[in-house]
Amino acid sequence: MHIPDGFIPISQCLIYYVILIVALYFSVKWARSNLDEKRIPLLAVLAAGIFAIMSMNMPIPFGTSGHMVGGALVAIVFLAPEAAVLVFTVVLLIQALIFGDGGITALGANVLNMAIIGGSVGLYTFKALQGAIGKYAAAGVGAWLATVLAALACALEMAIAGTFPINVGVPSMVLYHFFIGIIEAVLTVIVLVALDKFRPDLLAWNKTEGDA
Amino acid sequence: MEQKDKYLIAVAVVICIIICCLSPYIASGDPDGLEKSAEDAGLKEDYSVEEIKGIPESTFPDYAFANDPENQPLQIVALLIGVIITLVVGYGVAAVVRRRN
Repeated sequence: MHIPDGFIPISQCLIYYVILIVALYFSVKWARSNLDEKRIPLLAVLAAGIFAIMSMNMPIPFGTSGHMVGGALVAIVFLAPEAAVLVFTVVLLIQALIFGDGGITALGANVLNMAIIGGSVGLYTFKALQGAIGKYAAAGVGAWLATVLAALACALEMAIAGTFPINVGVPSMVLYHFFIGIIEAVLTVIVLVALDKFRPDLLAWNKTEGDA
Repeated sequence: MEQKDKYLIAVAVVICIIICCLSPYIASGDPDGLEKSAEDAGLKEDYSVEEIKGIPESTFPDYAFANDPENQPLQIVALLIGVIITLVVGYGVAAVVRRRN
């Protein structure tokens, strides 16, 4: 769901850039009080892994394809959507500048969809459901919903931009991402299971209060 | 850095290398959800709401070398360069914004 240059008029891109700057302010603030030294490698490898996995588009029905996004994963690992904003600003900036994937002008909108909306929806769905259905099922549902709602946000931005009419964009984006979200859910749960098995100390959900 | 963090980075890099080596061969060429929605809406491939001038050409457009875009081994190289840059920049950003005691 990388929005390319030209899909959003510059005036609207500026609004999304303002949102990005505000989000980065809060993310840096979060990192200054929460990102301890031993989680620096984790943040770096999540960024690199997300960069790599985004290159692998898997076929889904209707002759379209999709890849994992990872916003929910990062937010759940750190129990903070701010971490997703940091990771996605890095990944999407590199993709836009060096690989022509996602627009430079659309960076603010892309971070908004994948990290701010994706990360927050993923994390808060996880938090709401983990008591009832267990943490892995909750993370899977959170990752799926994050993908669908990020796609819905993208479709609404396209409608505001006048790029796709809302009556075509919303059903198409939501339908395709209903399936892409399943890929997202499966891979999110696999990564969380692996981290919990091999490096449980890195998962914020294993951290007890006061244990920095 | 602790030994277990070196393992974490090593394992992650190996997984990334595997993904990068497979991706040019197995990734679907079908349009992604957004591109397909653009097609559904009747947009042409080079659609843009307004001409945007001054945006530099990317070094590796579509994760390939610009002068040989179909060359799959070179696509692997482009992806690996991207993984290394992302790892280094991600580490650098995290180190700069981390908690100070």
